Amino acid sequence: MIRTKGFCDGIQRRDFLRVGSAGVFGTTYSLPQLLDQQTAARGNTQNNRSLIIVFLRGGLSTIDTWDLKPDAPREFRGEFSPISTNVPGIQLGELMPRTAQQMDKFSLIRSFTHGNSNHGPADHYMLTGYHPLAGFNAGLTPNNQRPSHGSIIAKKLGPRGSVPPYVCVPDMHPSCGSSYLGANHAPFSVNADPADPGFTVRDIVPPLNLDPRRAKARRALLKDVDLFQKTAQGQANRNAKSVGIFRQKAFDLMTSPAAKTAFDIHSENDKLRDEYGHNSLGQSCLMSRRLVEAGVRCVTIHHVDWDTHDNNFTTLRRDLVPQLDAAMSTLFRDLSDRGMLDSTMVLVTGEFGRTPRINANAGRDHWGPGFTVAIGGGGIQGGRIVGRTNERAERPAENPYRPEDLAATMHTLLGIHPKEEFITSEGRPVPIVNDGQFIQELI
Amino acid sequence: MLRIQVMVVSAILSTLCFYSAPSRAEQSTSNSAISSLPEWSIEPSTIQLTGPNATRGVLVHGQVQNGRLLDLTHQVRYRSNNPERVTVTAQGVLTAQSDGIAEIEVRWNEQQKIIPVRVTETENRIPPHFENDIIPILSKYGCNASGCHGKAGGQNGFMLSVFGFNPNADFDALTKEARGRRVFLAAPERSLILTKISGSIPHGGGIRLKSQQREYRLLEQWIAAGAPAGDPEAPQVTQLLIRPSERITNTLATQQLRVLAVYSDGRELDVTQIAKYQSNQESLAKVDESGLVQIGPVPGQVAIMASYAGAVATFQALIPRGKPIAHYPDLPEQNFIDHYVHAKLKKLNILPSGRSKDAEFLRRIYLDLIGTLPTASETEIFLDNSDPDKRQLLIEALLARPEYSTYWALKWSDLLRVDRRSLGQKQARAYYNWIRKSFNENKKFDQFAREILTLKGRIQDTPQANYYRAIGGAGELASNTSQIFLGIRIACAQCHHHPFDRWSQRDYYGMSAFFQQVQRKGSPRGEIMTASGNPTTKHPRTGKPVFAYALGTAMQQQSPKGDRRETLVNWMTAKNNPWFAHNATNRIWAHLMGRGFIEPLDDVRETNPATNPDLLNRLAKHFIDSGYDFKALIQTITSSAAYQRSSEPNSTNEQDEQNYSRALLKRLDAEVLLDAICDVTGRPEKFPGVPYGSRAIELWDSEVDHYFLKLFGRPSRKTACDCERLTEPTVGQVLHVLNSKEIENKIAHEGGKIAEWTEQFPENTRLIDQVYLSYFSRYPTSVERDLAIQYMADSPDNRRQSAEDIAWSLMNSLEFIFNH
Repeated sequence: MIRTKGFCDGIQRRDFLRVGSAGVFGTTYSLPQLLDQQTAARGNTQNNRSLIIVFLRGGLSTIDTWDLKPDAPREFRGEFSPISTNVPGIQLGELMPRTAQQMDKFSLIRSFTHGNSNHGPADHYMLTGYHPLAGFNAGLTPNNQRPSHGSIIAKKLGPRGSVPPYVCVPDMHPSCGSSYLGANHAPFSVNADPADPGFTVRDIVPPLNLDPRRAKARRALLKDVDLFQKTAQGQANRNAKSVGIFRQKAFDLMTSPAAKTAFDIHSENDKLRDEYGHNSLGQSCLMSRRLVEAGVRCVTIHHVDWDTHDNNFTTLRRDLVPQLDAAMSTLFRDLSDRGMLDSTMVLVTGEFGRTPRINANAGRDHWGPGFTVAIGGGGIQGGRIVGRTNERAERPAENPYRPEDLAATMHTLLGIHPKEEFITSEGRPVPIVNDGQFIQELI
Repeated sequence: MLRIQVMVVSAILSTLCFYSAPSRAEQSTSNSAISSLPEWSIEPSTIQLTGPNATRGVLVHGQVQNGRLLDLTHQVRYRSNNPERVTVTAQGVLTAQSDGIAEIEVRWNEQQKIIPVRVTETENRIPPHFENDIIPILSKYGCNASGCHGKAGGQNGFMLSVFGFNPNADFDALTKEARGRRVFLAAPERSLILTKISGSIPHGGGIRLKSQQREYRLLEQWIAAGAPAGDPEAPQVTQLLIRPSERITNTLATQQLRVLAVYSDGRELDVTQIAKYQSNQESLAKVDESGLVQIGPVPGQVAIMASYAGAVATFQALIPRGKPIAHYPDLPEQNFIDHYVHAKLKKLNILPSGRSKDAEFLRRIYLDLIGTLPTASETEIFLDNSDPDKRQLLIEALLARPEYSTYWALKWSDLLRVDRRSLGQKQARAYYNWIRKSFNENKKFDQFAREILTLKGRIQDTPQANYYRAIGGAGELASNTSQIFLGIRIACAQCHHHPFDRWSQRDYYGMSAFFQQVQRKGSPRGEIMTASGNPTTKHPRTGKPVFAYALGTAMQQQSPKGDRRETLVNWMTAKNNPWFAHNATNRIWAHLMGRGFIEPLDDVRETNPATNPDLLNRLAKHFIDSGYDFKALIQTITSSAAYQRSSEPNSTNEQDEQNYSRALLKRLDAEVLLDAICDVTGRPEKFPGVPYGSRAIELWDSEVDHYFLKLFGRPSRKTACDCERLTEPTVGQVLHVLNSKEIENKIAHEGGKIAEWTEQFPENTRLIDQVYLSYFSRYPTSVERDLAIQYMADSPDNRRQSAEDIAWSLMNSLEFIFNH
């Protein structure tokens, strides 16, 4: 063990107390001796919370939506004008009129930065809180060197009811894996688009032509037939053991009425479906609310096509932002109407923002040095602006926050101590959050 | 507050049970418990300390009855007879104080030994050298790690080169940036580097080094001396030595390591305190920052890497099971492989599992060699055959089947990146056909590599040229070729010295230079590839030219004349090349045995040693002697007792996955599993763009849109990494086999096997046998047969449905999904 490598957290290894339940769940966690009492107390009472991540893959142009610079030169400010919101003093881009009316329910971190402008590593950074190390292969699924936020939540908060704790809609982003937290905390990926008129979750129920009694008899038979599962051969092999765990999860899912109800998006009232928008993003947001209602702890929405290198303004105006506006505003309002907003945190972000300077193709390119992240619910105070960027929205002008800080804030509010450690398969302790600061302005 | 108390209590509890797994008997064998020993010795026997504050650590070895050495370094007592001349710590580290002669007394169990010490040049105040003395400190304490100041862009405005690969830039960053605040010559103790590193002013990275530590004082001395860069011609570290370099050690033992840096002027310095350490398997052994190794409770083999100033060295520990096996049996050997495997197992006190049953062997060899399940009738014939040579004959027969080349072409198409999206339909297909044809004619592996790497001319005539099209630039070609054909990853050396290996940036560009001549040009006759001229490659940092030279060889004064790739391939395929044959052997061994000698397969490093290096060397030699004959190598491996073992563990080998003491379970590849499902149900799959009835292992295109193949981890062929092919299970996979209508339709199809067999075999016993023979490649046990007969008897009216249910449950069993 190299004590110092990769640890900028300021905590010496020898200062850790090793605590936990090594014997029961095969993992241990550690806490600094100077335990943050506030966080611990918070964590104890708020384990009812859930997280929805609306991940806009490719990179939302935040200078055109969350952080407009109307006074910047032409080649920066773009085509959109600011509009007022229901919070005095806060303005958003003109393409977000409906979201503007929900501004009191979420806040914007305008001084967000991580400096990485490459899709793969930036995705991993945002979805796990860890910048990837050498050897990162973005092409793999999962490509996680560290567990995704959802896997951490699944591990620490566990399932609630009979639904899986962690679900990906409509499919799994490659950085949403569980890494060393293992099979038990990997997401369940829906692998179907809720906007599809014939939407069903694939393989979650036996084929319709199979009599339910027969299906039940089959499952009983499988238990008797699969002797291998119980033998030393099966047990001495990690992947074989995982299949056993997954089979149990599959059976749980198949027999869960709550899951069936949640996935039956067709039973939702049509007016609300319309308001969310009949597109992948809108219906995924609606599905997320239904899943959280049924007990899911973390839903990650994987929405693509935000990489607007060409014709940024037309694409945003015509397709992308109206969809986001409808989906996001309806999600916040719907959660609030149902009394779920206090317990459901919603994070809306891409892996980075886009270059403030407009390129030759009327597009904007990748930009990690400064962008805006929207977050609300689950203990976040709405209607706030955290930090600001310089006059051209290039980088934070004050209070820069990074993915580590975001992770520390989210996990703390969800009741997870960010400095707890997981033990990797090599036996190395790694803290849940890599030295992030709680963003005080958000509460 | 209550919560905190609870955590503290549980902390104590879990500290107690942290290492409670092994039995008491095993615990008593750790080194602290040894009370009397016949022999003990000290290394080195005399010590010369040169220079102010020079240090040197000793090692004390005790010899136990069975000839093993045990570390007593921390158990003996040390005393200096003249502390003004030399001091010594309880851990056996000597520090020079003043010139002259002294003695260190070492006591162990009433015995005393003496180490004579000579101390010189303590008044010789040579200031610390930046590259030799200061950078290693920045590395040791993580300042230049990739997560801190070493990351691109640095941390809070202070940027160092990662792992210190660029000393000049680091020197400037420390001494010239930040208006001289980082090193403050007038008052060294107020330099930011010291106040930050010791935490006397707030530091995001916390306290890294305390002011009492030797390294802190060294930094201070360096600043006090004017923060010099030091003599550019100063001796450099040429080699790192680690003592001891290997040990057979008990579980839960400790071992102190000493690390010596050898300089170009022959000087040896003890750098134990400043070297960095890493265990390649922390579950087996951990190491702390002072080089103290703590062996864990699990038997096995582990390597500890030490690195210092770009040089690396490895300590290897073999940890046998605690309980020796009283009468270790003479194990039957099928060929030389078994000799090496058994020798290792005997050292580890592990007994191998028994020989596989015929049915186990049959299923395994079919899946491994041709990626296809045996049919029910092939199974019956083999099981009923009483010829003692039948396994051997089967191996030969399978190697001659067309599916052999199909399956291995699939595997190599992954590595060689037959990717329709980047190559285009026509070229990808031609490339694949070339690979498949090569396996079909059992092309010798050196020839295979040569044909890929050195071709030129029209791409249309030489489809293997697509290797170049799939990969791209010279640097990419160098790193991909090294990874695929040598098993060496040099990609990190593109930007900085490889952190765990000896490869430098120059080595990377030396390999790139071999591919620098390659050009692809359009011509009226189609795309043409050429390799000529004398382009130069420049070192990106120094700007000096780098000539083409192979890994581990010395750089020449110029690049080879003519097509440089010829030189590269000649070097690769020379009989004494240390990697080429080893890499191919390791890949095949891993495929067949479920674990390579080296894992990951394509990460050969001195610091990632093979589990059985003697066997790997011997097998590689065998491969070379056979003329790089793949089939001959496969035949040799699959004939061994090691390959033909059962997967059922015994009490001595259930934890062992490193030493081939039992057959390891392997999840079927996505394509193989899909074919198996199609074969047992008698319902082929329809793939877009290929004739009906084509099998999944025949698909040359990894982009064929297919839910099952994607779900089960077919690789996308975007990199040369073997790790792209995933065998990691998911809930979605399990659900798919349990519930999908696609699979149900195959099982219950009117034209499927179950429908056919229920007609063909009116008797339930025979019908059940047929299902088991097809799905599990064996007869059911009597318990299984009775269970199935009972199930069918429960609904006598619908015999076919009951048979479908049985087939369904077999298909969902681990025994079907895994090769075992």
